[in-house]
Amino acid sequence: MWEQQFSKFDGGAASRTILPQKTIQNFFHETLIFAHQREPSQSVPPSRNRRSSTSPQLFSVFEMPRKPRRKQRPKSWPVTFSPFARALARMASVSKPNRRSKSIESSEKPTRSSTSNGSSKHTLEERPEGSESSDGEFDGVVQADFAFFDPKPNDFHGVKTLLQTYLDVEEWDLSGFADLILEQTTVGTVVKVEDDEDEGVFALATALNLWRYREQRCIMKLKEFLLLKASQEKGVGDQLRLLLGERAHNVGLLVSQRVVNLPPQLLPHLYDSLFNEVSWATEDEPTEDLRNSFQFKHYIILSKIYKHKNAEQQKRKRSDDREEEIVYVKPEDEIFHELSSWSFCFPLRTQQPAPHELKNYRSMGLIMTVEADKIPTFRQQLTSLINEG
Amino acid sequence: MATRLQFENNCDIGVFSKLTNGYCMVAIGGSESFYSVFESELGGVIPVVKTSIAGTRIVGRLCAGNKNGLLLPHTTTDQELQHLRNSLPDQVVVQRIEEKLSALGNCIACNDHVALTHTDLDRETEEIIADVLGVEVFRQTIAGNILVGSFCALSNRGGLVHPHTSIEDLDELSTLLQVPLVAGTVNRGSEVIAAGMIVNDWTSFCGSDTTATELSVIESVFKLRDSQPSVIVDEMRKSLIDSYV
Repeated sequence: MWEQQFSKFDGGAASRTILPQKTIQNFFHETLIFAHQREPSQSVPPSRNRRSSTSPQLFSVFEMPRKPRRKQRPKSWPVTFSPFARALARMASVSKPNRRSKSIESSEKPTRSSTSNGSSKHTLEERPEGSESSDGEFDGVVQADFAFFDPKPNDFHGVKTLLQTYLDVEEWDLSGFADLILEQTTVGTVVKVEDDEDEGVFALATALNLWRYREQRCIMKLKEFLLLKASQEKGVGDQLRLLLGERAHNVGLLVSQRVVNLPPQLLPHLYDSLFNEVSWATEDEPTEDLRNSFQFKHYIILSKIYKHKNAEQQKRKRSDDREEEIVYVKPEDEIFHELSSWSFCFPLRTQQPAPHELKNYRSMGLIMTVEADKIPTFRQQLTSLINEG
Repeated sequence: MATRLQFENNCDIGVFSKLTNGYCMVAIGGSESFYSVFESELGGVIPVVKTSIAGTRIVGRLCAGNKNGLLLPHTTTDQELQHLRNSLPDQVVVQRIEEKLSALGNCIACNDHVALTHTDLDRETEEIIADVLGVEVFRQTIAGNILVGSFCALSNRGGLVHPHTSIEDLDELSTLLQVPLVAGTVNRGSEVIAAGMIVNDWTSFCGSDTTATELSVIESVFKLRDSQPSVIVDEMRKSLIDSYV
């Protein structure tokens, strides 16, 4: 099954993305082959060679010509969390650049042929950037190879940074939560740049069973937080209490955080690998308890959105108004929201100054629940959303 | 005695606070629990001052000081300057300096006798540091990093520096500073020492991610295990003598 899927990705749409350095002005979308490197985890019996093979399976590779750096770490990775950057990323991902230069392209691709399984790479439009500038200076774009990894204890600081605002300004055992995610190596994916000595974490996706971890301080505080926010909303409080209490055996907390301008082409693959791992875990885990703990029936998602400040006035002037009521920071949230059984918003206590495009919007937290049998629909819709976008 | 704490889920407490032998500065806007930890440890011994610098909360990284004086960047507002002058003890000289490297906490590492500075600091600034803080100034790098204020934590009894500092560098710095130095980390492997912890002669505060090993290294190099502020020691001495009588 894995091999079949592999070849499907391989022949499918591919685009390479080059990350801009400081400002997110040019988003080059190019050939994209994902690198999926699985380390043999102890819970997988050695006979099942589903994931591990002799060489790491590369199913997406971005080129990465490294320039020698000074001791001071340059800010080549646009790790920006500001709404301004998000808005720019949204706009940039729509626009396409025009430069072409095949000669530079061919000389910078020694590693592209090194994919396993003899897969053929389909390069659609090749648009490299010409950034052979001097030491310490950057042209504005950097090429990067993204790879998916199992969570490792080393990723602690990166994961913790991504989860900093998960519960708004609440003081809770964030380090414990990060540790929990990193200990669960069977289900969970961390996106990093391949061969990056800094090992910066760019995205994280995992699903945590709320019953299995119910004794952990961080999970207890998280449940309190969710219930507190739900108590202000009519109707959903009881349903949430059920999900967090009696039915917690089959409820998974879907945690997905990333840097704001991560190329959206990675998203279908990220979610595919997450949900695949969940289904494999139901068969591969050593004990029956653990196997059952991954039989999720519901997923709870805690996310952030921007809601238009004048939501009511919006409905009246719909004819000439081109502004959306809700702007989703993460594109998959829109699909989750549509497929959700119920959802509600709550105001966030941190209000960052909004960029110009989002000045009429207020950032809000969103809690929603999606049933597990809606997930295949979600996966399809996400793929089509990203491909058309 | 080393205490672990957090500022709004952030373990980089050295960014939001500044500790010397004569006073302690804390950022405003954090929860009261952050402030109260300082009050309970230091209250009565030295003043704990809540302030902002240049309207920001990163007070630890913008200013540099010791028991003799405090240096503030040119971005400090007049009200903040006045507030600090009023709140700090009279013997502390508070001075705002015109220096283009405005994150003084990142550029200057000092105790009550000696200071290490960024290699590109102005000549005039160097003289002001020597005057106001009453220290001998050395331009140095730590493990090749010019931001000496970020990568070391210094007290009159010891110092903790960037983990990748070589033995030769450690020896050289130790000779300059005349205190024992150790290369180590704080906050579970973070190299930015000064962001993760603050220290003075009898107490220290570290981010809550700091492991027990890191904490024991800190307590041993800064000689915190059996140290107390001198006021309390004097009081104890009196009561001991009483018991003999």
